[in-house]
Amino acid sequence: MLLPGFEYHEPSTLEEALKLLHELGGNARVLAGGTDLLVKMKQKIEKPKHVISVARIPGLNEIVPRNGHAIMVGAGATAAALSRHELVRDRFIPLALAAGRLGAPMIRNRATIGGNLVNARPAADLPPACMVLDASLKLKSASGERDVSVNEFFRGPGETVIEPNELLVSIHVETPPPWSGGSYIKLGARKTLEISMVNVATKLTLQSADGPIVDAKIALGAVAPTPVRAHASEELLKGAMPSQELFQQAGEVGVGMCSPITDHRGTLEYRCMMIEVLIKRSLGLALERAKAWKP
Amino acid sequence: MKRIVQFTVNGESVEVAVTPNRTLIQVLREDLGLTGTKHGCGLGDCGACTVIMDGVPVNSCLVLAVQARGREIVTIEGLTGNGKLHPLQTAFIDKGAIQCGFCTPGMILSAKALLDENPQPTETEIRTAISGNLCRCTGYQKIVEAITAAAEAMSGKGVS
Repeated sequence: MLLPGFEYHEPSTLEEALKLLHELGGNARVLAGGTDLLVKMKQKIEKPKHVISVARIPGLNEIVPRNGHAIMVGAGATAAALSRHELVRDRFIPLALAAGRLGAPMIRNRATIGGNLVNARPAADLPPACMVLDASLKLKSASGERDVSVNEFFRGPGETVIEPNELLVSIHVETPPPWSGGSYIKLGARKTLEISMVNVATKLTLQSADGPIVDAKIALGAVAPTPVRAHASEELLKGAMPSQELFQQAGEVGVGMCSPITDHRGTLEYRCMMIEVLIKRSLGLALERAKAWKP
Repeated sequence: MKRIVQFTVNGESVEVAVTPNRTLIQVLREDLGLTGTKHGCGLGDCGACTVIMDGVPVNSCLVLAVQARGREIVTIEGLTGNGKLHPLQTAFIDKGAIQCGFCTPGMILSAKALLDENPQPTETEIRTAISGNLCRCTGYQKIVEAITAAAEAMSGKGVS
């Protein structure tokens, strides 16, 4: 399969990249790992005049801990790096798990967190994980910068609030409080090279190992035009003692927050049943990890 | 407009003039004559085009040649030394892990990247490492056996 022609730019600094984006804007597409963009270009879904590679910008792929309080993930960090990073695996479990389920090993070695977010596919792996962790996205342009919550970032399939002259440069996540645990479950017909039929990320925070739930976050993918938070389920959980019955209720309520469709991956009815089951199951896993929390 | 791109392939520095829309697999196969790397789906789904770039396996159909500038590439041709097959290649033959052979270069390179990092992998780790390489003939079992045997041979435990 051949790629259409384009002009290639390879800025070696962030400033240079932002200047190019400012000048070329809508005529340019940003190339990071290429696992989405090059596929779309081969299929002639995208025919950008200009391609700006951000792979040579120093520091864009770094994962930097911030004094135990937070982590800064460069937009160019690969899924493989995230899935293996010790701190991410330890404190930001949904993100490490989701990154480990994205595509296949070779895809994970190239695909970046920035690309996975900006492509905004409804079934993408990393958005729900970032949403339960309340990640903040730093968007930069030649004229300034702004921080946008990942929960406000998605607008529709393939659509986000990012402007053509803006570049997603980093993802900031606060370390979840003590007695927090998380999970990510991806449901598909096979384990690898799969696009989710339904995916669920959860994060639970307890008051203590045997205490009530003080905070709960649930986000789902492939069940609506954008990844969605199950706010009503979260409200039900807050302040309550965790139990399987409660998690079952949260699952039932969660179905109402989704608007799935029938497509070749699964029917609307099946998706709704799975939303219920997977919310319950993922809350159970998050609870186990929250109880086993270690300083 | 063509650009001059330099990178290392199987230990040798190469320089090619490419238009930006040419992929690494095209340059490897068409410009450098390294046809051991196979072109399958072209979309990153099948793994036939797997090469090792800076130590990790990648789909060479989804890497622009210009993106490979300065990188170190290993293709299936780079595994034989002094006319001797790599233990993985020997094991694939011995265990009957090849039928049509189209997926084999990619399988072996994914396995090599795994063994370089993790010389004694579990069966699950082996299956995960080759999970992006599709085989339509053997059904994977013999491939997993071959990689296990190669790991043993390379760590000095095997009898081959």
